[in-house]
Amino acid sequence: MTAFSGDLFDGRSSQAHPVSASLDAGRLHITGKDIALVYQLDQIDVAPPVGAARGVVHLPEGQELHSTDLSALAALSSASATNRPERWARHLESRLGYALIALVVSVLVMFAGLRWGVPAAAQLAAHTLPAGLERNIGEESLTLMDKFSLSPSRLPLARQQSLTRQLAAQCGKQACPPYTLLFRNSKLFGANAMALPGGTVVVTDALVELAHNDAEILAVIAHELGHVEHRHSLRLALQSIGAGVILVAVTGDIGSVTDLAAGLPSLLLQNGYSRDMEREADTYALAWLNAACIPPRHFADILGRLGKDTTDSTTLLDSHPGTQQRIEPFLASHRCI
Amino acid sequence: MSNNKQYPMQFTGRGSEYFVIWIVNIALTLLTLGIYSAWAKVRTMRWFYGHTLLDNQTFTYLATPMQILKGRLIALAALVAYYAASFYSPMLAVALMIVFLIALPWIVVSSLRFHARMSAYRGLRFDFTGSVGEAARIYIGLSLLIFPTLGLILPYLAYRQLKFIADNTVYGQTASRYQGTSKPFWGVYLFALVLMLLPIGILALGIFQIAQMKTAGMPPEVAMAAAGASLFGGAALFYLMTLVAGAMIMARTANLFYNATTIGPVGFQSSQRARDLIWLYFSNLVLIALTLGIFIPWAKVRLARYRAGRLTVTGPENLSEFTAGQQQGSTATGAEMADLFDLNIGLT
Repeated sequence: MTAFSGDLFDGRSSQAHPVSASLDAGRLHITGKDIALVYQLDQIDVAPPVGAARGVVHLPEGQELHSTDLSALAALSSASATNRPERWARHLESRLGYALIALVVSVLVMFAGLRWGVPAAAQLAAHTLPAGLERNIGEESLTLMDKFSLSPSRLPLARQQSLTRQLAAQCGKQACPPYTLLFRNSKLFGANAMALPGGTVVVTDALVELAHNDAEILAVIAHELGHVEHRHSLRLALQSIGAGVILVAVTGDIGSVTDLAAGLPSLLLQNGYSRDMEREADTYALAWLNAACIPPRHFADILGRLGKDTTDSTTLLDSHPGTQQRIEPFLASHRCI
Repeated sequence: MSNNKQYPMQFTGRGSEYFVIWIVNIALTLLTLGIYSAWAKVRTMRWFYGHTLLDNQTFTYLATPMQILKGRLIALAALVAYYAASFYSPMLAVALMIVFLIALPWIVVSSLRFHARMSAYRGLRFDFTGSVGEAARIYIGLSLLIFPTLGLILPYLAYRQLKFIADNTVYGQTASRYQGTSKPFWGVYLFALVLMLLPIGILALGIFQIAQMKTAGMPPEVAMAAAGASLFGGAALFYLMTLVAGAMIMARTANLFYNATTIGPVGFQSSQRARDLIWLYFSNLVLIALTLGIFIPWAKVRLARYRAGRLTVTGPENLSEFTAGQQQGSTATGAEMADLFDLNIGLT
């Protein structure tokens, strides 16, 4: 027999009636001054207790029985047959060990979702979105970069045209994604090339000057075409949205104050995502160079000269190789198909 | 019947206790692809209500997980429809946006109503009786004036939004009354504006520098780098000041809300201080970032404890004299829509 004391509210006034309650032969008896109530267990609804918060039993006609005797309420809850998932949750919440398991599970599921789920979803979304939308985004970002971080190229027009022609000739022989090749000068980016959404490939003057021959420039462009082919810029944008949604959904409604805190792990994620994409673009470039009969070694040469990334070994969320391992496949003797 | 007994509001929950509930909620929500979130919400609300004590009695949260789940699914369907439409046809998205704007007053009212009806104290439910028409006047009519008045109407809008809640809440069958004026709101928002002027000024200086150097013939990326310090500093200060001004507004409006509201013989005394809330928000932010989010439950508990500790109810010798009104059901759709679309209604 379970017995406990509590306060009864009759649902008609705010008066609290001190009562004692007992569970006896499948019935809940409530007795107090001028009060003698008996309910079948299927007439009552025990709100499963949460933590040490005061418990509530909902009785017919809007009556409530409040009690601090949580173990009695737990017994009452399991006696009234309703099998809600909450009783299970209550069990999980009862031991610190389970909480730690929940923590580990949460971290693992989130990690898996962010590491594999979000990129997969972004890839699917990137290929269903209309191409016009992607082009618009690309044009807007180019306008923005032209305003703040790029200036017109100082390369001789003949040099620009020669490179454009060579690329067009290669793309006449093998399939390339639709692209636009642009040359820009930029102090901010230095020797660099980037692929914008919609297929615009921007090559900086410094990169052209760093190259020892045109094959090296074409090799870098081939890598950028890989980004275009796989719609990487759009996917990266979609992934950061997806990661944001997951992080906000988990950290919940504490308010915008935590947005910055939630932004920190997503920065790490971006790093991991872009590494995957570099590898994809490298694979594309290697196949492209072989098909174009350009020795892939040229890509390794200019990448080595760019000298970036050489210190990267691993990041928190990924374990992709730095430059040394990246250029290895390009050092193999090339096959001209 | 004397009417000046003080009842301090208390919050008795502890961070470590909430941490366990919070982390189990997250794990189960993730494993069930979000479905458990409805149960998680109910358990969380019940925990917070069950630890909020007034005159040694707790508040009760009455919503069931199924109600929340249904509301969430409908709200989610609306959100997905909107995103899908905006990707495929911008025109359709604009049309849906207009539909949403027209529905906004209904969403506001039904959200407030659901929240009130699912809250009870001493066995009596709260209710919300504000009309959709008045919500339309405030949330659409007055909001449309923000742009033409260059935001000058914001304090008055904030006042009307608070008054809408404080004048239309019912406990049992006792209606609340709000007797505040819009005057103090102007002071609060003017102070916030002054706080924001500094970062805005620094940002404007940075943009002005860029424009000047560009006309002087400097390449844009060099100008950008030169003005970078004031741009970055301005942005960082802007973020910090948003936190400071936001916390200040929250503290002051909470006081303005409670101190001018009465429910029958009951009044409130709220004494939140801006500097306390700023410190709470700032330290919570730092600790959440340092612990990669683990501190979130403690952060929420700290806020709940502070808010409760700063609220006192004044009323008659005993609080047993309230009587019940009519019991009515309510659906969670509007409330969940308001949550999902991130509408900030009422006090948090």
